[in-house]
Amino acid sequence: MVKKYRVTVNGQSYDVGVEEIGTAGSAAPQMVAAPAPAAQTPAAAPAASAAAPAASGGAATVKAPMPGTVLSLKVAAGQAVRRGDVLLILEAMKMENEITSPSDGVVAAIRVQSGSTVNTGDPMVDLS
Amino acid sequence: MEAKLKELEERRGRITAGGGPKRVAAQHDKGKMTARERIEAFLDPGTFVEIDAFVEHRATDLGMADVDAPGEGVVIGYGTVEGRLVYLFAQDFTVIGGSLGEMHAAKICKAMDMAMKVGCPIIGINDSGGARIQEGVDALFGYGNIFYRNTLASGVIPQISVIMGPCAGGAVYSPALTDFTVMVDKTSNMFITGPQVIKAVTGEDVSAEALGGARVHSEVSGCSSLMFDDEAATIAGVRALISYLPSNNIEDVPLVATSDELTRSCPALVDIIPDSPNKPYDIRDVIQQVFDDGAYYEIQPLYAKNIVTCFARLGGRTVGVVANQPKVLAGVLDINASDKASGFIRFCDSFNIPLVTFSDTAGYLPGVGQEHGGIIRHGAKLLYAYSEATVPKLTVIVRKAYGGAYIAMCSRHLGADQVFAWPSAEIAVMGPEGAANIIFKKDIEEAADPTAMRKEKIEEYKHNFANPYKAAARGYVDDVIDPAETRARLASALTMLLGKRETRPAKKHGNTPL
Repeated sequence: MVKKYRVTVNGQSYDVGVEEIGTAGSAAPQMVAAPAPAAQTPAAAPAASAAAPAASGGAATVKAPMPGTVLSLKVAAGQAVRRGDVLLILEAMKMENEITSPSDGVVAAIRVQSGSTVNTGDPMVDLS
Repeated sequence: MEAKLKELEERRGRITAGGGPKRVAAQHDKGKMTARERIEAFLDPGTFVEIDAFVEHRATDLGMADVDAPGEGVVIGYGTVEGRLVYLFAQDFTVIGGSLGEMHAAKICKAMDMAMKVGCPIIGINDSGGARIQEGVDALFGYGNIFYRNTLASGVIPQISVIMGPCAGGAVYSPALTDFTVMVDKTSNMFITGPQVIKAVTGEDVSAEALGGARVHSEVSGCSSLMFDDEAATIAGVRALISYLPSNNIEDVPLVATSDELTRSCPALVDIIPDSPNKPYDIRDVIQQVFDDGAYYEIQPLYAKNIVTCFARLGGRTVGVVANQPKVLAGVLDINASDKASGFIRFCDSFNIPLVTFSDTAGYLPGVGQEHGGIIRHGAKLLYAYSEATVPKLTVIVRKAYGGAYIAMCSRHLGADQVFAWPSAEIAVMGPEGAANIIFKKDIEEAADPTAMRKEKIEEYKHNFANPYKAAARGYVDDVIDPAETRARLASALTMLLGKRETRPAKKHGNTPL
């Protein structure tokens, strides 16, 4: 069952479909949990649909090391990256910080876009 | 006499054989050397002198009366590293798992006492299953004696713990009390409670490696100062570390011959710093340019990478370098960086190692996690450590030095002996954006075009205040220098400060924030 949400990030509207793919029989709590992050942290919202399939693969997620704004993305979904490659530039603490890949892999999903505001620990890029 | 000599030879032979060929082979199969092999590899060839080889345990409970433990499961003695005396002990895993009993501990304590008496470093090679349960409280007595001596020796002689196997339970507190803990990747681990206990109590499934391996302690917990790929690299690494350290707290730092001129100009430094103050760079490139022969020895290189702590040499003399790393987390000060740097500073001050600080940080990391994690008291450690230090303190303000972080990074106000600033330095109470928003709030609000006015005011503030000259006008900065002169100026200041004597009010000891 797909639930539709409209989320506004930095003035831009996004229509987001949230599909429940969790284990059968635990429908009720999942239903409650799914919309919650979308409402609280706008940056994570566009990710909800994209991230769901990636998460099942046990992929690594690159999280924001500190609060800031995504200045630019340096990779695209599906792109192969090596450990140390720059994934994106996060402007934080008056510095254009290079966020690098922690390991070799493929970019499964990008959960942020240029201009996204992130808080410490927010997921930004999924690797597989 | 001949018969007696033969008996001596036989007895010694039994002891040096350790746990026997089978257990030695098992040790080798794990990629590990035996205790004696490690000592031989660590010391200059032929310099090892063993003591207390004939010590035996005196436990009788739980079948111990019949247990023969050659050397009591630990080898102790002294020798030299590059000609300099060190004491060491190495636990022998082939002898009842290197387990620690009363006499095993007594041997370790003797090595520590002797090292303290003669004023030389003590190196402990840990490879032990833990307390010898059969010896009961006597084993605890043994651990307690070691911890007590670790504390007494702290700040008197350098203490280095090398973890080359398991180190679990109470045993981990000895390394934690020493100055440096060095681990071997994949074959060493440390934890207070092991995977089985954790499984039983919390239900968490975790491997020994994931729980307390070298990588985890080097990257996450910060309990390890250094890690190396294998035992040979570890031994070479610890020997290199010792080359930077004086033997005790009344000795000066070692002097090593160098052909690197003290007055060497460093023209490359200008190009390392990006024109935009918002662009990161690797501060280690600066360190490499400034110090002798481009060499430096990083401590905790994988932990809190937003601050770099390393030993280097200037004019052949060891200095301790603390530097913000703009390349990682914008070089901010956070809980872990404060912890890492303050421990390093206190070590340097204990052992007469002058401090050189490179400052380029936007400030303390904002966030609920940091505040709730206690950044106030952790950050205070840095202020305390710098203020407390009486060794020569030199500071180079490379770029950003704002607010509390400016003070914390060994400013004049914390007792820096010489503060140099590059022309790129921005020393101010806060960043231009924040400052302009507050100071010119009214101007901006009342302007026809607030955005343009705001931008103008930011530029105005930047021009007037985000520079080194306001601080230099007060004498907070001793001189604004061409980056190319950094090496020459630091070397000159260090020579000038050789005779520095600074005393503190008499006290039992300070109460450092913890």
